[in-house]
Amino acid sequence: MTPAEIVTVMLLVAGCFFFLAGTLGLLRFPDLFCRLHALTKADNLGLGLIALGMAVHIASPWAALKILFIWLFTLMASSTSCYLIAKFQRGRAPKPSEASAE
Amino acid sequence: MSVWIDSLLAVLAVFLAVRCLLAPTLPQCVFLFFAFGLALALAWARLGAVDVAIAEAAIAAGFLGVLLIDALRDFAAPRTHGETAQKPHFLTQVLLGAGLVVFLYVALEAVWNVPDGGGLTALAADNLPRSGVDHPVTAVLLNYRSYDTWLEVGVVLMALLALFATGGKELFRRPVVGAVDPLLRQVILFFTPVLFLVGAFLLYLGKTEPGGAFQAAVLWGAAGILLHLGGWPVFAAMPRWTRQVLLTAGFGFFLLLGFIFMSGGSALFEYPVAYAGVLILIVETLAALSIAAALTAIFAYFNGMKAASVENEIPDPS
Repeated sequence: MTPAEIVTVMLLVAGCFFFLAGTLGLLRFPDLFCRLHALTKADNLGLGLIALGMAVHIASPWAALKILFIWLFTLMASSTSCYLIAKFQRGRAPKPSEASAE
Repeated sequence: MSVWIDSLLAVLAVFLAVRCLLAPTLPQCVFLFFAFGLALALAWARLGAVDVAIAEAAIAAGFLGVLLIDALRDFAAPRTHGETAQKPHFLTQVLLGAGLVVFLYVALEAVWNVPDGGGLTALAADNLPRSGVDHPVTAVLLNYRSYDTWLEVGVVLMALLALFATGGKELFRRPVVGAVDPLLRQVILFFTPVLFLVGAFLLYLGKTEPGGAFQAAVLWGAAGILLHLGGWPVFAAMPRWTRQVLLTAGFGFFLLLGFIFMSGGSALFEYPVAYAGVLILIVETLAALSIAAALTAIFAYFNGMKAASVENEIPDPS
């Protein structure tokens, strides 16, 4: 195994850990706001680490730039939709602690 | 290793499909349908059909998903399948079952009896230099079998006409209800040029690599839908004749081209070899524009219908 491969595997495993944690949070957290919190962590860090791992694996500057853009666009889209969902839920239920996801 | 991933994907797709069919509430059904579409797109990508994967993710999971979510708001009151669904007539059940069996039989037969050498693959590859493009899928879609693609463009147009026929087009010009979130507007403004650029890239890429008119059209249509949601109803605000030209350009130019060459003595949609590349690019561009316009219009219409029903009933909660 070359050093680059070891770094790739470590980054991918770390990324998968965040997705796993995010999924666990989505399934186990009590209300919508906590679940959104867990999900956005998975998107930001998990996808970022996996993207970084893939960039190291492909090792081409152009591909790395494209992967960086994929991560940035996903980040923008996911944080905006998270904000919109939370805003909608706040408008619907005045007390966040009593709001449930369904 | 890859066998495990593929098996997992196959099991996941079937599992999600079954869950989607058996979901107790409509929202669960819709979101499981998204997940199913994405699993299917991954499966297509694993099969090497990146074209189909993009189309599946963009049209089935993306565009259809937007329409389904929009429709979901009309069923805001919690309602289960059991309360609304009537048990179908016995004859209907028998006919549906028989149709399903025949369909499964044909599908299995088609998969098992692929001729040695992949059927028409060799013939398609041999004629690639004469088709005007370098990618076999684009060559099949826009040259060898352009009749099919022409009718597909027509189907999208037909869907929009059917919508107009059911509700009247005055709903179409209604503005979005309520103030649009400023953050959403900024993000939409940021993404519009990106979507346009990526769509144009996919369209041009179709000449040599996976990509093409339908994939580009969905991205452009997504830009149109986002702009509409952000309070800029770009398509609805256009003059009537511009809308008509945009909607019919793809279908019409395709047809015109076919008849011009037919009058010259060749078959319908038989392009002269020398101009095939340029003609296919023009046809693809116009088709993509028309499909994007039609998708935007379909969404704008549904959204207008929602706005009309909100005005008549309860005020918007947010």
